[in-house]
Amino acid sequence: MFIADIKKDFYDVVANQRVALLVAADIDALCACKILQALFHCDQIQYTLVPVTGWQDLSTAFLEHKEQFRYFVLINCGANVDLLEMLQPDSDSIFFICDTHRPVDVVNVYNDTQIKLLIKEDDDLGVPTYDDIFRDEDEEEGEDSGNESDEGSEPSGKRRRFDEGAIERRIERQRAKRQWEARRREILFDYEQYEYHGTSAAMMFFELAWVLTKDTKDMLWWAIIGLTDQWVHDKIPHMKYVSDIATVQRHVSRHNHRNEDEENSLSIDCMRISFEYDLRLALYHHWSLYESICNSYYTACSFKLWTLKGQKKLQEFLADMGLPLRQVKQKFKSMDITIKENLRDVIEESSNKYGMKDIRIQTFGVHFGFKNSFLASDMVHAAAALLESTERDENDPTDNFIKALDALSRSHLDRLLSGIDLAKKKLIAIQQTVASCICTNIILSQGPFLYCYLMEGTPDVKLFSKPLALTLLCKYLLTAFIHSTRNKRCKLLPLIMAAPKDVEKGTVIVVGIPPESETSDKKNFFGRAFEKAAESTSSRTLHDHFDTSIIELKSEDRSKFLDALITLLS
Amino acid sequence: MDPSEVEFLAEKEFVKIIPNFSLDKIYLIGGDLGPFNPGLSVDVPVWLALNLKQRQKCRILPPEWMDVEKLEEIRELERKEDTFTPAPSPYYMELTKLLLNHASDNIPKADEIRTLVKDIWDTRVAKLRLSADSFIRQQEAHAQLDNLTLMEINTIREFLLDSLNCMYKLRSNLQPGATKGQFADY
Repeated sequence: MFIADIKKDFYDVVANQRVALLVAADIDALCACKILQALFHCDQIQYTLVPVTGWQDLSTAFLEHKEQFRYFVLINCGANVDLLEMLQPDSDSIFFICDTHRPVDVVNVYNDTQIKLLIKEDDDLGVPTYDDIFRDEDEEEGEDSGNESDEGSEPSGKRRRFDEGAIERRIERQRAKRQWEARRREILFDYEQYEYHGTSAAMMFFELAWVLTKDTKDMLWWAIIGLTDQWVHDKIPHMKYVSDIATVQRHVSRHNHRNEDEENSLSIDCMRISFEYDLRLALYHHWSLYESICNSYYTACSFKLWTLKGQKKLQEFLADMGLPLRQVKQKFKSMDITIKENLRDVIEESSNKYGMKDIRIQTFGVHFGFKNSFLASDMVHAAAALLESTERDENDPTDNFIKALDALSRSHLDRLLSGIDLAKKKLIAIQQTVASCICTNIILSQGPFLYCYLMEGTPDVKLFSKPLALTLLCKYLLTAFIHSTRNKRCKLLPLIMAAPKDVEKGTVIVVGIPPESETSDKKNFFGRAFEKAAESTSSRTLHDHFDTSIIELKSEDRSKFLDALITLLS
Repeated sequence: MDPSEVEFLAEKEFVKIIPNFSLDKIYLIGGDLGPFNPGLSVDVPVWLALNLKQRQKCRILPPEWMDVEKLEEIRELERKEDTFTPAPSPYYMELTKLLLNHASDNIPKADEIRTLVKDIWDTRVAKLRLSADSFIRQQEAHAQLDNLTLMEINTIREFLLDSLNCMYKLRSNLQPGATKGQFADY
């Protein structure tokens, strides 16, 4: 059931209760969690935070906590599956689900008692109407008793005479029922075929804070990071990102005008959020400009930096802008101020000449204190690197979750800076892997899709056993492939990528992303395709991740799984 | 005494807030507070003001002395005089730190105020050190210092007492027999 008034139906209900927060492992969920935690602290609501990484985790967490808690808040998990069937809760457990995964399962939409969806009803959902999918089961049985209203037959439960008319009506009803069921299957198939993402969960909770007038700049910043995470990890189309930015921009202007006027300027330590039309170079404020250009996928793919020609083009580009190499290879913060002043405009002009029309993107930045200024995308990269860190002694997912959560708050700057370092390593690893994949041509066109398998000995392959990192790699690889291939047909194909996940158990993680196009709406059909292929070949797969397009598979079953996919999709 | 204990005592001072909730009068052991009405200012102790501010339930108004011009005057006066001038408030240092750390968005020109208060503190503590130094050197028996705040006294307390104790021991060792008799074992 969709919640109409988020304050009355959600916040006031949990206000004096103990709540269990089950949070998925992505940055948007982390930001939403932080906003909700801040609200709970204000009103002294007791809660327990449980990070969950997949459906099995969710079930175990639920079983552990179902005795003590009546109210469960699920963030970025649970909407796209029949939750009641999966968890089998008691009838007094109530679930509040704020999830960006679409399509929302129809049972979750139409359940009135236990499932409350913290999702805006008009958020691009297209849910089928109730009558199309459900009809009361007990009116089906046997005699000519009254059925659904569209049947319109006489309610004649008492008449049991087997006359001609009754038999005819019965046959008619059964035919209508078969038709209805066929139509129902079709509607459900269309509805659940494509997987996509809706409005960020962090923005939903920020709206809740706004309605309660408890919104602060910290919460606004977290909402911005949640939205930027959806853009960085390619979950929402560009149009939606731009319109969400416009919504956030209104809040930002409201906050900026609140305390500041001519004479009473705010202390420098206060947080200031500003709208920036900044360059699409990852982490460039905390790196050198040269490194950032080499390791951001947009510039690396446009220049084709894995070829010698590409490197030369890059040198030309820098010379064209008049930037000396020594300056460009220095840390950005120590770059010459005269160069930094007009950097963005200069880069935009030159990049137009080299075919990069969208080098600038609308985003937000934050400043607090004299030294600290960060862009939203920097924070997303840092938090994602911490969340999926594969450093030697940091392998506990709950620990990583807490570290990433800490990095998002202003008082743990050292965490954030270590996250930025990890993110730099991750981006360099991604770029090198992309370069080697393109140069060694291991991307194969399998007909209806492109396929790439990362061998076990590839450097940094441990990094790519995690879903977020692998998805980023996929996206960059597809863009690079499109720029480097001459085959027109291949440019429109989606990409499936497999990487070793667990060497002892012999499993690989498989990710599928939709084809790259200008007006892509990021709808992914691989979820259903993977399920069907696994069923038909009885491969040993684990569909544990909340995104149905990410699965775990036994390495031995890889080839037959792929063959099944090829036949399915062609 | 620990500086944190002094800060704890400082939190009993009253400060004006503007709440955004309403509550009837509350009766606490230390006194009565309230009633709270949204938009109307009310006097509360600093500990309650900070707690409400962190829960976003109020806006803190800076105390009267926390103003750039007044603090500049006090700083000039302090630098001119040899003795201590009356401090802006008996807990000016702690209140500045607490309010500027937690509520700097409600206090205009917070950075300048921080600098001014630090200047005043530095001048006063320098005078205090000078006077303690001359006290010990000249082996005075008693002294009177007006207008000191608890935090300043606290910074010098341990050093002054310990050094005076040492001086006493040294002095009593120079006069044998006078006090020694009492410590004899037999």
